[in-house]
Amino acid sequence: MGKNHNRRVIRFLEILPGALSWCIIAFFVALAIFKPVYCAVLIIVFDFYWIIRTIYLTTLLVMANRQLAKQRSRNWLGSCQKIEGWNGIYHVIIFPVYKEGLDILRPSLEALKGTHYPLEKMIVVMAFEERYKPAAEYAQSIDKEFRGEFFDLLTVFHPDHIPGEKRLKGANATWAAKRSKEYLRSKGIALDRVIISCFDADTCVDKEYFGCLVYHFLTAPKPHQASYQPVPVYNNNIWYAPAFARLIETSASFCQMIESMRLEKFVTFSSHSMSFKTLVDIGYWPVDMISDDSVVYWKAFLHFNGDYRVVPLYTTVSMDAAYSSNFFKTLWVQYKQKRRWAWGVENFPFLVSRFFENPRIPLVIKARRSFQLLESHVTWAVWAFIIGIMGPLPMLLGGRFFAQSAIGHNLPRITGLLFNFTVFASLVWIILSWTILPPRPKGVSWFRNVIMVAEWLIVPVVILVLGSTPALDAQTRLMLGRYMEFSATEKTRKVV
Amino acid sequence: MSVDQKIRAFFYYVSVAVFLIGLPFILAFSFSYKFDRRSFKFTKTGIISIRTQPPGALVALDKQVLPDKTPMSVPELLPGRYSVTLELEGYYPYISEVDVDAGRVARLEKVILFPLRPDIQQMNRERISFFWRDETKSSLFYVNRDENVVYRSDLEGNRFEQVCSFTPIRPQPKKWEVSPDRTRLFYFNSRQVGIVTLPQGRKNRDAGSVVILNFPSDVINDVFWYADSYHIILICSRRILICEAREDASLVTLVNLAKRNASGFYDAHSDSLYFMDAQEAPDGNVYDNLYRLEMRNRMYPFSLPVLLL
Repeated sequence: MGKNHNRRVIRFLEILPGALSWCIIAFFVALAIFKPVYCAVLIIVFDFYWIIRTIYLTTLLVMANRQLAKQRSRNWLGSCQKIEGWNGIYHVIIFPVYKEGLDILRPSLEALKGTHYPLEKMIVVMAFEERYKPAAEYAQSIDKEFRGEFFDLLTVFHPDHIPGEKRLKGANATWAAKRSKEYLRSKGIALDRVIISCFDADTCVDKEYFGCLVYHFLTAPKPHQASYQPVPVYNNNIWYAPAFARLIETSASFCQMIESMRLEKFVTFSSHSMSFKTLVDIGYWPVDMISDDSVVYWKAFLHFNGDYRVVPLYTTVSMDAAYSSNFFKTLWVQYKQKRRWAWGVENFPFLVSRFFENPRIPLVIKARRSFQLLESHVTWAVWAFIIGIMGPLPMLLGGRFFAQSAIGHNLPRITGLLFNFTVFASLVWIILSWTILPPRPKGVSWFRNVIMVAEWLIVPVVILVLGSTPALDAQTRLMLGRYMEFSATEKTRKVV
Repeated sequence: MSVDQKIRAFFYYVSVAVFLIGLPFILAFSFSYKFDRRSFKFTKTGIISIRTQPPGALVALDKQVLPDKTPMSVPELLPGRYSVTLELEGYYPYISEVDVDAGRVARLEKVILFPLRPDIQQMNRERISFFWRDETKSSLFYVNRDENVVYRSDLEGNRFEQVCSFTPIRPQPKKWEVSPDRTRLFYFNSRQVGIVTLPQGRKNRDAGSVVILNFPSDVINDVFWYADSYHIILICSRRILICEAREDASLVTLVNLAKRNASGFYDAHSDSLYFMDAQEAPDGNVYDNLYRLEMRNRMYPFSLPVLLL
């Protein structure tokens, strides 16, 4: 395949998700005007599908929550100790840092120190960006405070302007992983006995995280052909975050929990762990793609010809909820973060173009994974529009004849039924949200508990504002070739 | 496969089954198809949608009372004519025949139920002979002919007060009208026009004064206030006049009419007078026409600013 031809194929694949999403939306609008009855039928079919899907996914959430409740309190280290060779496993823990200050970094390292796992098996790598001048000072402070706590603490500085790289987290993490590899070689530690964990700078691990990780690593059938994905929660500052942000972050945690039950679709997200050897074999994280956390999975998937999976760890890693100083800034911060997540649509052209080059992966798997990826992103970009905006459209644009028809009369009733089911699902989500909430800090009023429940009333607003628009925005940018730049999410922490 | 994955697979297939089985029923419901369990067939039906003002009325369909109250819809009705009775305690019942077509909605959504004992309120607080509503539609004026008194209130009957006394004229006045600046009131019969100056606080020293203008040689059909509230326009049987609303005012004949007892009106907004008159056409016949007289041009010398008057 020629280079130009390959480029054209990739452009086509970049255009495809956005074009599909826009075509679906335009199709619905056109139908609402010219064939309102057909439009109403499609909306009813979609709404019914969405009700069934919501019930099904809520069931998965309940199951995942049950697993989390069961496993997070287990003594994983004790379980590891019963397995021969557990003591030979080392951990490289990379924290890619950009502008995060000591107020963010210190709790992350304190959480590591507090884990129920031997610290002498941990090599902590603080990966700073050389271009950020205060980083050197942060590195010194961290080094001074935490040296001697772990097997070793490395502070590395990722140089700017390395050819082929973009200013992304993946580039920084890759640089740190390469330095770690050199370090491991110098210490004579075999790479296949090392698990690498790449954590966001604000990640505070659960104290059983490493025990749980090692147990699953040692008991997995092909431990090097798996990534290990904990449940991301946004608890660090959850009691101080505004209701709007809290709701979105809790929903994001729930989505990840649901995904953990759908193993055939499960892809790494945010902070996760994997075999260091595998990471080296697949050529580290991508250095020019924003969604490095999921692309690294696809790289491994392609490397092992489809025989690669994600093992869910029912233990939590806690991060900061993204919020800012006022409502509109918070909305913007959340929008940008969700758009960055939705930029994961760049995985589609990446994956499909490489499927063409890999004849060893069965066609069925290629078709299924491609479809799953495309469907999930397109659905993300259109579902809130169909439910929130398209629903009343046939009534508004369909004219008098449609309004006098039985389907025109019944459409609002059926869409209303959908809303009631959403409320029912929200009730389950409210109850479950309490199970992943950390204890209320001192100084926080009990009234916050009431707000925590009441905030779920704004779900319809959140769905309308942040349900599909960030995904549609990201897909449109990819479609038009306006590639996104990485921008670190603004994090605010009132209490350290 | 783990237990969780088996449970999940079970739920997945149940969800797919529910979707596939439920969807035809949902779509059938949407199109108002009724499923007959005996014949195992779908029959297309219609809907009656009922809304009343006030809501909460009992609905009887072909004399059979339904459990729900308005607003409500009656689905799954076989096509045909139905008798709908709406009843609400304290209101007149509403009875109507409604045709129901398959797949369509028959709407009874503009039904107003009128109360059996309407809430009637007496507006006047003194004895009155008749009333009229002010041009601005914000006041009611009342006249007591026996005592020759004019009262005023707002549209709710509040702020009821005596406005002025007037000098009676015979025969009884045809019409009463307050001037646009609300400082004066005229009333007239076929020969006389009475002008009453209305009280405006302490500033108006002439308040309560009455002027009677006599027009012995004319038959007055209608009178209008001119836009400046100082002149009146009189539409008489043979001519249209304008004069100042004061004693000994000089008359200006605006139009001599060929047609007797022609109608007309004055529009203060455009400052124009519209009137009917007859005119002989080139064919020798006489036709009635509507004419417009632009007062701004003709009456310029009289259009003094209000402040100077």
